[in-house]
Amino acid sequence: MTGSRTAPGSDGRTDAPYTDGGTGADTSEGGSLLGTDATTAAEAGQKAGGLTGVRALLRREILRFVRRPGNTFLPPMVTNVLYFAVFGVILGGRIDQIAGFDYIVFLLPGLIVLGTISNAFENASFSIFHGRWNEYIETVIVSPLSNWMFVAAYVVASAIRGLLVGAIIATIGLAFVTVTDRSIAVAEPLYLVAFMLVISTLFAGLGVVGGLWARDFDYLTVMNQFIVRPLVFFGGVFYSLDVLPTVYRLLSLSNPMVYMVNGVRYGFLGYSDVEPLLALMVLSGCTVVVIALDVWLFRRGYGIVN
Amino acid sequence: MAAIRVCDLRKSYGDVQALDGLSLSVDEGEFFGLLGPNGAGKTTLINVLVGLVRATGGEASVFGYDVVDHYREVRDRIGLAPQEYNVDRFFPIREVLEHKAGYHGFDRRTASRRALEALEIVGIAGKADARFHQLSGGMKRRFMLARALVSGPELLILDEPTAGVDVQLRHDLWEIIERMNAAGTTVLLTTHYIEEAERLCDRVAILDQGRKVEVAAPDELTRRGTDTLDIGLANPPATAPQFSRDGVVSARMDDGRLLVTARGGSELVPDVLRDLETKGYTVTDLDVRRASLEEVFVDITRTAEGTL
Repeated sequence: MTGSRTAPGSDGRTDAPYTDGGTGADTSEGGSLLGTDATTAAEAGQKAGGLTGVRALLRREILRFVRRPGNTFLPPMVTNVLYFAVFGVILGGRIDQIAGFDYIVFLLPGLIVLGTISNAFENASFSIFHGRWNEYIETVIVSPLSNWMFVAAYVVASAIRGLLVGAIIATIGLAFVTVTDRSIAVAEPLYLVAFMLVISTLFAGLGVVGGLWARDFDYLTVMNQFIVRPLVFFGGVFYSLDVLPTVYRLLSLSNPMVYMVNGVRYGFLGYSDVEPLLALMVLSGCTVVVIALDVWLFRRGYGIVN
Repeated sequence: MAAIRVCDLRKSYGDVQALDGLSLSVDEGEFFGLLGPNGAGKTTLINVLVGLVRATGGEASVFGYDVVDHYREVRDRIGLAPQEYNVDRFFPIREVLEHKAGYHGFDRRTASRRALEALEIVGIAGKADARFHQLSGGMKRRFMLARALVSGPELLILDEPTAGVDVQLRHDLWEIIERMNAAGTTVLLTTHYIEEAERLCDRVAILDQGRKVEVAAPDELTRRGTDTLDIGLANPPATAPQFSRDGVVSARMDDGRLLVTARGGSELVPDVLRDLETKGYTVTDLDVRRASLEEVFVDITRTAEGTL
């Protein structure tokens, strides 16, 4: 493990040299905590904490949602079983094919996008805001992690949660598709993977902004209910833009969700209302901008430092 | 090298000057106390050092590293026990310590071992799997200290570490902190318990309204206070005899005893006794009551306010 402080031998003595030094290195006397070692991170020529530090924060962030499946994974499971049952099966049976696909098949990629981005956003915003609310985020701030490390840990953990929820929804959707005697395959796997990575990272990055901006728990609800959800619902999750009058179709093209939903739909079905490569490039650009904004906010200490 | 060097540090919140040109230097290995009334700027100073408050002026460095430009080097060297509880309640306390050690670059195995050691040192290893809110008040204070020392800091910053704890626990915590200091860790302590500063600190700074009023060893400060010579006389007079000596502040009779207040009182004892003998009094007993740091502290902060 590069960049980490080594564990001492079984006798409690430190045999191996420190790989990144560190002020908190064990003394050679039985690994006692009391006392310090002259070796500092700076003297060892490496930044304090190294990559071990960011891994520790990433691990904390992932364990936080993994250990609370009732709060993190169960709700999207229930919601999507309802979506697939009502819209896919009950109503879907009465809807004509859309763009040549059965409605439940057309619906599946959109619901994956909805679940993925909502959860990526919610995870980052909740984790950061909760830490600010209870002030324990200070423990992270007073640690020797760099600003980009804070952002990396929160964004990667939140994107992982988004992707896991996306996978759960895909599984539920496939079960419904199979039960209703239909089939769905992945037409463009590379596009699918690329779009999923980009949208989960983008919304995790936006969640960081939300978590730093929020002044109250209500802000989190407002952001999800009044901003994210309307954009998703008018973003072509439940319909193709082709069914809209021209004015509304053009209006819809200003909604970034349209590009995400269509990108993932293209990955599954090989069908998109918009040009997928362009969509991918624009979304990637947005992601870079949002992540840079995250780092800048941490550097400024926005929402945390007085 | 100075463990902490602060120069003309300023922090304002609107019209309020939390720090008003504070300059201060703490030596490596020193046990340094910050005393001052509420709102004197003690916590603001600490928060500037660890990066939770951004100063509006002046400079601050820790072991030679600027707290803004080299924040990672600074934060790697500091273990902080803040006054307010700010503990992650999602995880058992053992894991909270593992995370903290991890942020400082200890791999998982080492972090895990250090976490348990830290809990053992403060005496709550039996509660390793409890969450913070399940701990008693005293255990919470113990945990705050464990978290501050789990990363093996060179500078331990303790903001009111014994606020609201019983005498026994206070002594337990003192002992741990003293061991840390004896092993070479620099300690910055803020406290409202003057006795705590008197017992632990090599030097104390008295802050008031964001400024440094005084820095000295506790002994030196108490020497500046007035001691009281409590003298029993065989034939007490109705009015106290007067002394024309430098250092004697006043003399009065109280319930048949002569009370002489003086600076550096113990050194004046022979002179006062000689004077009394000359005046024809017979001294039966004598007790010297030294000024407490608390009295000096109150005097100093009151004077500082008076000069504003």
